[in-house]
Amino acid sequence: MRSKKIKKRRESKKWTIHERTFLILIIVLLVLGTLNVAKASGWLIPEQPQLEIIDNTIKLDSMTLEQKIAQMVVVHGGLYNMQAFKDMQIGGAHLFAMDSEGSYSDTISQLQSGLQIPFFITVDYEGCLNPFANFINATTVKDIDGIGQAFEKGSIDGKLLHELGFDINFAPVVDLDDQIWGCRSFTGDEKEVAELAEAYILGLQSKGIIATAKHYPGKTLVIKDPHKNIVSAQISSEDIYPYTYLLGKDEVDSVMVSHIITTGVVDSGGIPSVVSPNLIMPLKKEFSGLVISDEINMLGLKNFYPTLDELYVDVFKAGNDLVLNFNEDPNEIYHMVLVIKTAVEEGEIPEEQIDDSVRRILVAKGFDVE
Amino acid sequence: MTNKNVLIIANVSLFIICIILILTLFEVKVPTTGMSIVDKEEMLCVVNWRDNYNSWTDIDSCCLEARKQLTCVKEQGYYMDKTVQWRCQTGELSYWLDSKAYNYCNKLSVW
Repeated sequence: MRSKKIKKRRESKKWTIHERTFLILIIVLLVLGTLNVAKASGWLIPEQPQLEIIDNTIKLDSMTLEQKIAQMVVVHGGLYNMQAFKDMQIGGAHLFAMDSEGSYSDTISQLQSGLQIPFFITVDYEGCLNPFANFINATTVKDIDGIGQAFEKGSIDGKLLHELGFDINFAPVVDLDDQIWGCRSFTGDEKEVAELAEAYILGLQSKGIIATAKHYPGKTLVIKDPHKNIVSAQISSEDIYPYTYLLGKDEVDSVMVSHIITTGVVDSGGIPSVVSPNLIMPLKKEFSGLVISDEINMLGLKNFYPTLDELYVDVFKAGNDLVLNFNEDPNEIYHMVLVIKTAVEEGEIPEEQIDDSVRRILVAKGFDVE
Repeated sequence: MTNKNVLIIANVSLFIICIILILTLFEVKVPTTGMSIVDKEEMLCVVNWRDNYNSWTDIDSCCLEARKQLTCVKEQGYYMDKTVQWRCQTGELSYWLDSKAYNYCNKLSVW
């Protein structure tokens, strides 16, 4: 009688096929949900090995290809995805406007903590673009009318940036004829703009901040034809003058290349300047500083390629030392690194070219490179 | 509705969610019209510094610059005979966007 009761109880506890399916699906859902959250946060991106840095010297051979490529990338430096970028050993973090000096200092110290090779911390503090406007009242380049004043502004800007923890300022703009903002480039003809920019650069760099002449080879501030998705421009000898002047003197530490398809005195060969080896390689032969791409998620560039992977390969292949990709998803940044790694392994991009860029970056960061 | 029917509905729903999560995890993109139907020529971005106002036709670049600003707030403004609804600003520099441009910017990977 008793054993019959127990058997009955056992039978009544037996789960139906629907209940079992429900339970399994709930477990699968929890696992998949966790994996998705982990992936979105970049936790699935593998951490790169620690480097051997002896007496401030880095041996390029000791770096993995992924580490080298990652050093060539500048991302948007948000705190929520910071760990993934640290694990990848990304080269730079660009900061947008923040409300206080404290916010910048906290963000930068959190970004830099525990890194063997620090990020380049970059900003656009140029012309009338002032991300610190909430706590610093700065003069604009529009208000500058002499070389002494330009040098002084460079020094003041450099001192502020150095104190906040920045390394690179994507400034000055040396393109002529600002028709859109009316305040991003210096006033005057090409010679005056070049001389004022030179003074500003010397002031900025005297405080340990890397200056950037942008956006090579010019014509980025003019109003474009709204009916053209891909922007092109004729570069005149006036447009290129500030660049030849500054790069020829080897005074500026870096130059940023634009997405514009150019003809005229600088010919990008029918493709955007930033992916044009014909334009960038000769520039690198004459110039020992860093060649930096403009942000690569822009319309003028993306429309030129059927896929982002092809765009990535061409941006690196063209010879840019630092590539700006502000995509907020660390997985996409890691994907870009892997795409470039494959391109190098398949011989599409020479590893010597990557090594040359990484050497320039590490030297600019203050390391000796072997 | 019986307990069995409730479970069947729950299981089908859970199965669909699992499929979506697997597709998301492995980044399988389902073909979509996405942004191909977006007409960028209809969007408006106005750069404003002090008394200087100019429209900027490179909407992607405008989105990036707007994203860099300290605040983006809903605020009505006028440019020529058109209305703009969003103002992204730091100090004296503002980027005014109409709703179409702002919604487009929000969908970009850099926003």
